[in-house]
Amino acid sequence: MVPGPFGLDPAVWAILRLLIAVLLAVGLVFNGALAQIYLERKIQAIIQDRVGPIHTGPWGLLQTLADAIKLLGKEDIRAKLTDHWFFLAAPAIVFSPMLASYVVIPFAPGVIGADLNIGLLYLTTLGSMTVLGIVIAGWASNNKYSLIGGLRSAGQLISYEVPQILSLVTVVLVVGSLSTTKIVESQEGWLINLLILPLAFVTYFIAGLAETNRNPFDLPEAESELVAGFLTEYSGMRWGLFFVAEYGEVTVVSGIVTTLWLGGWHGPLTDVHPLFGPALGVLWFTLKTYFLVLVFMWIRATLPRFRIDQLMSLCWKLLIPVTLLNVMVTAVLLLAFPESHIPVAIANWLMLAGVVALVPFLQRRRLAALRERLAVQRTAAVGAGQP
Amino acid sequence: MTYDGIGVALFALLTVGILGGAAGVVFLNRITGAALLMAFTFLCMAGMFVLLGAETIAAFQVLIYVGAITVLILYGVMFTPQRDRAYALFFQRQTPWAALFVAPIGIFVALFAFSFRDSGKAVPGGSDLNALATSVFRDYAFPFEVASVLLLAAMIGAIVLVKRDDE
Repeated sequence: MVPGPFGLDPAVWAILRLLIAVLLAVGLVFNGALAQIYLERKIQAIIQDRVGPIHTGPWGLLQTLADAIKLLGKEDIRAKLTDHWFFLAAPAIVFSPMLASYVVIPFAPGVIGADLNIGLLYLTTLGSMTVLGIVIAGWASNNKYSLIGGLRSAGQLISYEVPQILSLVTVVLVVGSLSTTKIVESQEGWLINLLILPLAFVTYFIAGLAETNRNPFDLPEAESELVAGFLTEYSGMRWGLFFVAEYGEVTVVSGIVTTLWLGGWHGPLTDVHPLFGPALGVLWFTLKTYFLVLVFMWIRATLPRFRIDQLMSLCWKLLIPVTLLNVMVTAVLLLAFPESHIPVAIANWLMLAGVVALVPFLQRRRLAALRERLAVQRTAAVGAGQP
Repeated sequence: MTYDGIGVALFALLTVGILGGAAGVVFLNRITGAALLMAFTFLCMAGMFVLLGAETIAAFQVLIYVGAITVLILYGVMFTPQRDRAYALFFQRQTPWAALFVAPIGIFVALFAFSFRDSGKAVPGGSDLNALATSVFRDYAFPFEVASVLLLAAMIGAIVLVKRDDE
């Protein structure tokens, strides 16, 4: 057992530590969701040249709080033909794996729920459990739109799990450990994993976008075609719980990226003081994580939604071959040069450049068709007397 | 004060979960409910692995069985046309035969299970990872590769079977 601080009995400290950790995680998730909804609305508004929420509180800061209170006060509506128990259980099945993911996220040295030896495996395991909740939600709603949304989500999540795990494998190969703390410790100094494995970073980020059902991968809840998919029959706080889970998932994915590629808690001035240093580590971690959350929102505000066939071909024809190649090349180079990570880094940057150059080549027919259509439109516009 | 009894309590809870879930899978009329209870049983099994100190096996159990296989089964259930089958139970006369065949297997399984009583226990803390990796990729590398080639062949076969000719 872990000895407690201030001469606390270890038996008491074990329970107290558990309580503090759970309360912190729950607080983090709910407050994070409130903050992220506000940020999302503001940032989308700025990008789309609007003002966003301004009326409730200073700069509209209290708007999401008011929305949350409204959601809590709503009547708990349940359609008659839904499948009672599964309908009730689905939000919890989506929410609890996300909450459990916070156990292995290393905020600072020593500030971690449990430093599991199999931390990354644990995270992917929990990520795969979300699928079940969404499929159950879609099925139990007894609604065709919901069912299609749930099945789409299952297909999407199972497909994108493959490139996601393969991207993680490259990092594990380079670091040599599955423990999240060890992965952060290995990135001391300026040589963070982003500089060594940029391709794995890009593939993981794309797969993470798909895994969290965010734009441009939000097909399971596409408002315009599926009337919100698996969320159609839900209302009130059950609906809210799905959204809290989604924002929590975004934070978890950003936290994983921060841990694996951006050096986690490392930053200036973290080793100045035994108490002040870890606090600063938490700050660096949070800043890096929220930077990535902002990138998620930026992507949502700029990219249109994929079609389902485009989504699948992106995963199976581009991401999986690229990540497989990446794993093989990284493994071979690590065996050939066990002392240095520089060859791996060079190979990875070259492969990233290759992939970026490959995309226009693979899409050349579609691009040509697009150019042709644009030219036709332009001549038509000129013919109609418009500039 | 320590928490030595908590392992026993968790074991009891998980046992109830596994047995209850398994009974539900067999006795439930609705096939989707049975599939979900199967996922619940798998989860409880993963908890058993954690209690035994084999966290890696537990993680793979959840990753593969709960995250993938259950979802595939749900897919299968949802894409199978379902009709009212009131006649299905009408011809169900196999109960004595089933009991006759299951009983000897049950006795054998019980004897087999109790023969493990004094065998070794894995060390907790996720240290089973190295042992697992060594055995799969070093000691049993050849059977592992043969199995993966077999699976690849099965996958290609499935793709060829379902591919339409008119494309």
